[in-house]
Amino acid sequence: MATRKVRYKKLSVKTPLPVLREDQIDPTEYESLTNESQIATGVEQAEENEYHLQAVLQGAGVAADKEIPVPPPEESTLSYDALYPQKFQKTCTYIRFSQTVEECIGCMYDMTEDDEAFLKLYNQRRVASAQLSDDDFEKIMEVFEDTAYIKTPFAAVDQTIVSYDEMLHGLHDLDKSKVMPHAKEIYEYWKSQRQALGNRPLHPTLKYELHQENDDLDPYVCFRRREVRLMRKTRQRDVQSAEKLKRLRKELEEGRQLVLASHSRELLKAEMLKTDRAIFEQRAQLKEHKIRLGIKTDDEDLINQKPQKRKAPEAPAVQRPPPPSQIRMPLRPDGRPTEADLAQLADRLAEKENELRADIEKKVQNHSDWNKAHVDLTRGPLSPVVGPRPDLSFRPAKTQYLMTPPASASSASLEEPLPMELDKPENPHTVFKFRGVAQDEKSMENPPVYRRRIGRLNRLWIDRRGLASPPGERSEEQSDQWKYDQSSDDEEDTPMYEVDPFDTRALKFRASVPLPPWMSRTTAPPRQAALPPILPPNLPPNLPPAQLAQLAQPPQQALPRPLSQGQAASS
Amino acid sequence: MSPPGANGESTVGSDGPRQKGKANTDTLKVGCIAWVIKDGQPRRAEILSIRDTKSGRQFYCNFDNFNKRLDEWVPVARIDFNQDVEWPNPEKEKQKEGKTKKAPAVSKKQPSKKAQKKVAKREQSVASEEQTPHPWTEFVESQPQVKTPAKTEDAEDKANASLEVGGTPGVGPDEMELDEDETPAERAKKERAQSFSREEEIEKLRTSGSMTQNPAEISRIRNISRVEFGRYVLFPWYFSPYPEAFSQEDCMFICEFCLSYYGDLKSFSRHRQKCTLHHPPGNEIYRDDFVSFFEIDGRRQRTWCRNLCLLSKMFLDHKTLYYDVDPFLFYVMTTRDEHGNHLIGYFSKEKESTDGYNVACILTLPQYQRKGYGRLLIQFSYELSKIEGKLGSPEKPLSDLGLLSYRQYWSENIIEVLLQSSEREEKCTIEGIATTLAMTTQDVEHTLQALKMQVYHKGEHKVVVPEKLIKQREKSKLKQKRIIDPDLIQWKPPVFTASNRTWGW
Repeated sequence: MATRKVRYKKLSVKTPLPVLREDQIDPTEYESLTNESQIATGVEQAEENEYHLQAVLQGAGVAADKEIPVPPPEESTLSYDALYPQKFQKTCTYIRFSQTVEECIGCMYDMTEDDEAFLKLYNQRRVASAQLSDDDFEKIMEVFEDTAYIKTPFAAVDQTIVSYDEMLHGLHDLDKSKVMPHAKEIYEYWKSQRQALGNRPLHPTLKYELHQENDDLDPYVCFRRREVRLMRKTRQRDVQSAEKLKRLRKELEEGRQLVLASHSRELLKAEMLKTDRAIFEQRAQLKEHKIRLGIKTDDEDLINQKPQKRKAPEAPAVQRPPPPSQIRMPLRPDGRPTEADLAQLADRLAEKENELRADIEKKVQNHSDWNKAHVDLTRGPLSPVVGPRPDLSFRPAKTQYLMTPPASASSASLEEPLPMELDKPENPHTVFKFRGVAQDEKSMENPPVYRRRIGRLNRLWIDRRGLASPPGERSEEQSDQWKYDQSSDDEEDTPMYEVDPFDTRALKFRASVPLPPWMSRTTAPPRQAALPPILPPNLPPNLPPAQLAQLAQPPQQALPRPLSQGQAASS
Repeated sequence: MSPPGANGESTVGSDGPRQKGKANTDTLKVGCIAWVIKDGQPRRAEILSIRDTKSGRQFYCNFDNFNKRLDEWVPVARIDFNQDVEWPNPEKEKQKEGKTKKAPAVSKKQPSKKAQKKVAKREQSVASEEQTPHPWTEFVESQPQVKTPAKTEDAEDKANASLEVGGTPGVGPDEMELDEDETPAERAKKERAQSFSREEEIEKLRTSGSMTQNPAEISRIRNISRVEFGRYVLFPWYFSPYPEAFSQEDCMFICEFCLSYYGDLKSFSRHRQKCTLHHPPGNEIYRDDFVSFFEIDGRRQRTWCRNLCLLSKMFLDHKTLYYDVDPFLFYVMTTRDEHGNHLIGYFSKEKESTDGYNVACILTLPQYQRKGYGRLLIQFSYELSKIEGKLGSPEKPLSDLGLLSYRQYWSENIIEVLLQSSEREEKCTIEGIATTLAMTTQDVEHTLQALKMQVYHKGEHKVVVPEKLIKQREKSKLKQKRIIDPDLIQWKPPVFTASNRTWGW
């Protein structure tokens, strides 16, 4: 096989590359195309050839079942719950925390096994009341260690030991009655422990730099301080300085322009003064001539008109500062402090509060207006149902309690609704029975179903299905029925008909109330019939008798068009 | 398994020809290379230290071509004394400098810089070990003290000489052979070259950087054998500069929340009664039902961050603790339960990286490894870069495990992007991929090449997605891996002023 030498075009990061799947390219070609160039891995070169790494890299990209072996961790045999007894309170929000470790762990001295043995022995010699507790022991030791650290930072080198008297100062901050009787003896113990360790801190500490020559090679020396960083020249820094210089240059230039501008302004002013003077002198001459020659024309040439106008805007700018002081001055005598003109914070706050109060009152007023006509027939108002809205499918009409009207009006009872005494079928005889709705078994099997939905422009639609049979076409003489409706509304002594508003048949009946002609003429969408917004529960009792009687006829005829269509579609 | 040593060149004791010969328990010394049984196989191993225990003498072995985390104390029984032992070259050979100076000219192959570095590394790290006080001092003390700062009178001269050698252009195809050509004289010079560059290295670390390229920075012998941490016992992989006293303890105790360290169970349990920390001491910037992220400022939480660094140093070889933690921010991932937020892993990030790194060190603690947490850490680091509007890359060198994690993250995400544009039949640019994923273009190119996806075909560069990778993607899609939801990040890039920068953050 001849190997062709191909000169590669340089691949730039901006070159658009076609992306192919392996099956979209000739496999034999693909084999030869994949170049075997060595790629830098980013791993230290000495470690790049390690056996396990190479083993995994060989199968590059393939789900490698080969893994790099590591010393495996084990489950601890210590009792976790004993060592970590505190429970953690989960927070709802993201934790924000800035305390340091030192602030979180209290006393910095932790008792060792040696200390424990010592303290046990120490306490054995004492009565229970005079014993030293673990916590106090640690506090004392902490003071000794801290004082020693502050007073003799190089104790390990110069072997000085802080005397007991020097320690006393630190002990003053502790609870003296508990600590002082023991302090001296604990000091002796502390001293012996320190000396056993070559006067080093009792807790093992990290090795920090001591600026000795062998520091640099000692791997135990860590966390060296960085000297103040030299300003390094980076591109970003250069850009920043350039920006700053540019800004400075611009500002200086602006200042210079300002000076130049005011200079020319002053020159112009001088010029103007000169001109004014010339004009004045000319006028004086003119006046003299006029007087001399006895010319009696109007003297408008002698009066400066335009310049005065010009001066007008200029003058106030110069003269403005004085007037306020002149205006303010007379204000003082009449007793009002000048500060009265200033808006006071208290006034502002009061104003704001008033505004808020007015707003709240207005809202309350609005709310009571809104609820004015509302009569709550349910004896125990229900709380609104929380949770997702029921789906928009058709539901059979069942007698059920309506939700409370506005939540604010209800006494927010959270109890489940229970049927009230009145609604139980003990006294059905009082309930007005509608005759208008078919009561045969067939219709009972298929109760009417309704769907409530919100249409365009937030209009409420009630779709219905499964109605027995609609009332007939409206006759001519019935169309004037509204006259009677109107008149009956005014009567106070309307006979009351006790109607269970939640009876299925009542619902059915109400649903079949024919639409007024003006409504049925509107272009209702096919298959759906609009009903006026939900009938308030108090409507049926107030129905005028004429209408009731009229509607109670057996509805054998067809409903207005939209309804019959809806029925046809649903059956 | 292939026979040991057959894969790649050997790295153990490869600094020139060595004397060979039989040895026994007593004559075997530090620096010898012997055949030691590892996982049932004999392997070349360098003896780095020797100690006597109640059960007999033990040797600390570094195995040929195995990562240092697999180094271990080996009892005599596992050493094969039937095989010849390679003895360390005696130090006095170095004095024959003048005589061997012409040697490089005669030798067929010029040493590559790579080889020099490596050789020097070995010398240096052994040297640093000698400077380090050990619990096994009796053995260390017997070693001749090679490097003392007093030797610096002719340092300049030597530095020049070494520069000369270092500048020799070398094309070394095989390091092993090169090593054989090396003369002790060159070694000595290179050693100094190394110490010369060491200063540069430290200067580099001073201004930024968390990873050391300098092997001398890496101590070779693990000092902590066992760590109690929360519900787990961890076995450290590498040296960590905890107080020296702890290397004598059988076990060290680390508080899971404040990361304080104790050599004594009593102290530790006393501490646990007082410690009130339940989560990393910073602000939570991410929370989903699985993990949380906390942002911690190295300057404000110095103790905690130092503790974290000490802990992570036990598992990161090239991490340096030479300088303090002030210029870094730490992003710590935790898992929650009724006891608190338990540390899973973290990554640190320079407050201002001149090299455009978005990660300095990154670690998943061993007890959480191989569970997909590394991917979450990496993804989070890139999500932060996306918010910053920068392209990011991890600081080098990567560890072996780091390389694998990053490669996996990169390839998964790049293939996702590629297949999407292949479905739309669009071309894509490397730059486009880089900006989508907040990766540097070098990393994108690197991944495309590593997966052998970049081809040159019919006069144009193309990207070909191999079938096996498509299948793998489908498989992993079924697994429903956890990912970071960027909408849950509540974070704004921290702003630092010029005075922060000048006064050490």
